[in-house]
Amino acid sequence: MQFVDWFGDGSIVVVDLALACCAVESEFAVPEGAPVLDDVPTGSLPVAIVSGTLTDAVSGLVRDRIQSLGPNVHVVSFGACAAAGGPYWDSYSVTKGVDQLVHVDHYIAGCPPPPSALTSHLESLRSARGSS
Amino acid sequence: MTTHGRIRLIEDRCTSCMICVRECPTWCIHIEAHSEELPPTTPEAGLGRPGVHPSRGRERRHNVLDSFDIDWSLCMYCGICIEECPFDALEWAGEHVAGTDSRAGLVHDRHTLGEGAAERGQRGQREIE
Repeated sequence: MQFVDWFGDGSIVVVDLALACCAVESEFAVPEGAPVLDDVPTGSLPVAIVSGTLTDAVSGLVRDRIQSLGPNVHVVSFGACAAAGGPYWDSYSVTKGVDQLVHVDHYIAGCPPPPSALTSHLESLRSARGSS
Repeated sequence: MTTHGRIRLIEDRCTSCMICVRECPTWCIHIEAHSEELPPTTPEAGLGRPGVHPSRGRERRHNVLDSFDIDWSLCMYCGICIEECPFDALEWAGEHVAGTDSRAGLVHDRHTLGEGAAERGQRGQREIE
């Protein structure tokens, strides 16, 4: 897995589990020139972003990847599909939200949400960590 | 270009006709309503007609909205509900739906959906005046 050091200071490292079209927006939010790491540095908060339609076929893989980030991982559901299946909630092959697999800490609404919604959430997460 | 951010409900205009609910491709709108009797406005109008009480006019019934919810975790922001509403009770409201820490927080009720509708109405009224 690759981790984006979002702010370049090791405070938050982000894994984008890019599954479908919402990934275009979540990828766009990545700051230009942000360092890409192969591991989570000590003291960093790992953030897993699930963007796009989650199907039952890959749900096991997604759950394992998120759980491999440890108990402190902050899970963000980006877009309608990740939250509840979105427009495909009635499809036989679509998982009805990431929260069926793992605990989700934050839901960003939209189909797709704007990249700025992800940026502002990560910024508030960083400032909350800085003040605690 | 209109931002497909969030949808505002202008409650005064909603007749609970359910057209938005049925036209929504993702079934993300949920409406509860009941009907209430309206007293006849012209008591003499229905006199002599079958089914009309001799002492008064015909009763009418109208829908009363009990709840109007949009589940933003299902909405695909296509705007078909806005296009289809015959009474213009729904409109794009600019800014995007805020993120939440719980899935239940993505279901907005009539009060949340109606935010800004009163100010909008006053502004419209001033423009008319």
